Amino acid sequence: MSHSHGNTPSANDPRQPSAAKPYTPRPIAPEDLPVDYSGFIAVILGVSGVMFRYKICSWLALIFCAQSLANMRNLETDLKQISMAMMFAIMGLVTNYLGPNRPATKK
Amino acid sequence: MNRRSFSTCFLLILYLISLHHHLLSASQFEGFDASEDDDVSDDSSDLHHSLPPPTITQSLPDPQPSSHDSTSDQSHPEPPQYSDPSSTTPFDFWDEDEFEGLPVEEIEAIDSPPTPENATETVDPETPQDTTAPSEKKKKSYAIEIGCVCFLIALGINYIVGKRENESLALAWAAKFASKDTIFHKNFSLLGVGDGVESPLLLKEALNVFKFYASGRRYCHGLLATMELKSRHDLISRVFNLVVPCKDEITVEVYMNEEAMDHVVFAMAKKKAAKTMQKEVKDLQRFAGIVSPPAGRKWVSEELNVISESKEVAGDLITDTVLDQVFGDKAMEKYGKNFMSMHISDQHPGKHRKMMLFKFSLPDAKHMDDIVRLVALIPYYIDLVGRYRLSSQARNKTETGRQKAAEEAYKELQNARQEALQKKKAERKKLMEEAEAKLSAEVIRKKEVKERARQVKKAMPKIKMSRGH
Repeated sequence: MSHSHGNTPSANDPRQPSAAKPYTPRPIAPEDLPVDYSGFIAVILGVSGVMFRYKICSWLALIFCAQSLANMRNLETDLKQISMAMMFAIMGLVTNYLGPNRPATKK
Repeated sequence: MNRRSFSTCFLLILYLISLHHHLLSASQFEGFDASEDDDVSDDSSDLHHSLPPPTITQSLPDPQPSSHDSTSDQSHPEPPQYSDPSSTTPFDFWDEDEFEGLPVEEIEAIDSPPTPENATETVDPETPQDTTAPSEKKKKSYAIEIGCVCFLIALGINYIVGKRENESLALAWAAKFASKDTIFHKNFSLLGVGDGVESPLLLKEALNVFKFYASGRRYCHGLLATMELKSRHDLISRVFNLVVPCKDEITVEVYMNEEAMDHVVFAMAKKKAAKTMQKEVKDLQRFAGIVSPPAGRKWVSEELNVISESKEVAGDLITDTVLDQVFGDKAMEKYGKNFMSMHISDQHPGKHRKMMLFKFSLPDAKHMDDIVRLVALIPYYIDLVGRYRLSSQARNKTETGRQKAAEEAYKELQNARQEALQKKKAERKKLMEEAEAKLSAEVIRKKEVKERARQVKKAMPKIKMSRGH
């Protein structure tokens, strides 16, 4: 709750309602935001999971996606990376589990 | 005799050829190499009957022989034996449609009706049946999946729990210091981040970052408190914090009025932090130095270091009240545990030049009383610095220092401008050169011809032409 006191300040009272200025948030440039390492790692793991057919990579990509989503600060800038990472992770899991099996290695 | 020996020899050769042909055909099956088949015994009767009748089932596509098998294969090249329950054949892949080379009795065995349920199976006591293998294999194959799903669930649970913890901590701070009849309520006429009357006290910038704003007080524009809490909502960060511990912090920025604050550069922090501050913070680096404790006077605890522009400023800002309440030796042990640093400066880099910065660590929600005295320092120092005026001698010193700093800043700005201009000139030159290089040879030749003509014209003697009437 925001409190505004209309009472007139006495000699002892440090409050000055006339000097009150509402809060204006400082605009933060996307470059100034902390780097989203987990999102970046998720993308790399997701891509490697799809390309090299490693289940563990796809699972780890999904985990790092969840972490990145939890630490998301700027919806616009972070969501692109997270959605891409999520797409790769899910694609990797789908291809690994529902796709054709790897060819058997002959002895 | 001779003829007889010849016939036996011929029969033997035929037999060997047929046997070799048979082995070659066997090596066509997947999982067998021709090299492996060379050591198979020559007894043809063993060849068919040693193989158990195959069950018509599809074998697993990727059977993995154990490491033990692979090592034994090198020493004794035999057809590999798989403990695959679904297939009793020694082949990697069994094709249901492939019945070539099967002896008659084997086909009959396949076609024969299954044994009754009550019939006991004859089990060779020497070869124990591997019943645990399939379940172990299943467990192994799903270990990653189970682990990852469990970890994802743990992430989700931790997210909810951690988020709640951080929110409760921030709300506990707000309830203690920003609700009705508390310290900020008594000192500021506007509390909260919104414009309206019913706007929230705290602004949630991230799951672990909360902001509180207050304004409407003498000597200052406003106050912005930023709580940077541990990333409790993030399981990976939480685990990392167990290894590398960190604290919940609150940073209070007080934006002072231009006319209220005199030339003051002062900081106080724990010894390690003070050294790093003095090296890294621009205004402290330029104007201030570490102040040694004065003789014959109460001073701050040994844990703390004071950085100031002059001893006068340090002495005036560290009052007896402050020493008794927080920064004295006895008070520090009891009330100053959560103190991290304070920085008062009229030369702050950034939008607001005149600013005070207080940094404290936050206790848990149940022990918010521990920082009551630290928070009380904020309004105390606002009034103290707002009223404070330097002596003329100290003021002259500070003014010369600031003039020098301003000149240096101006020079730096000029240098930067000149560098920018030079860069622009160089770029233009480059562009011109590139444009010239792009011009075709013919255009250049034409230019040269024109230039030559102009030169010739210049060189020609000037003749005045007069008209004859």
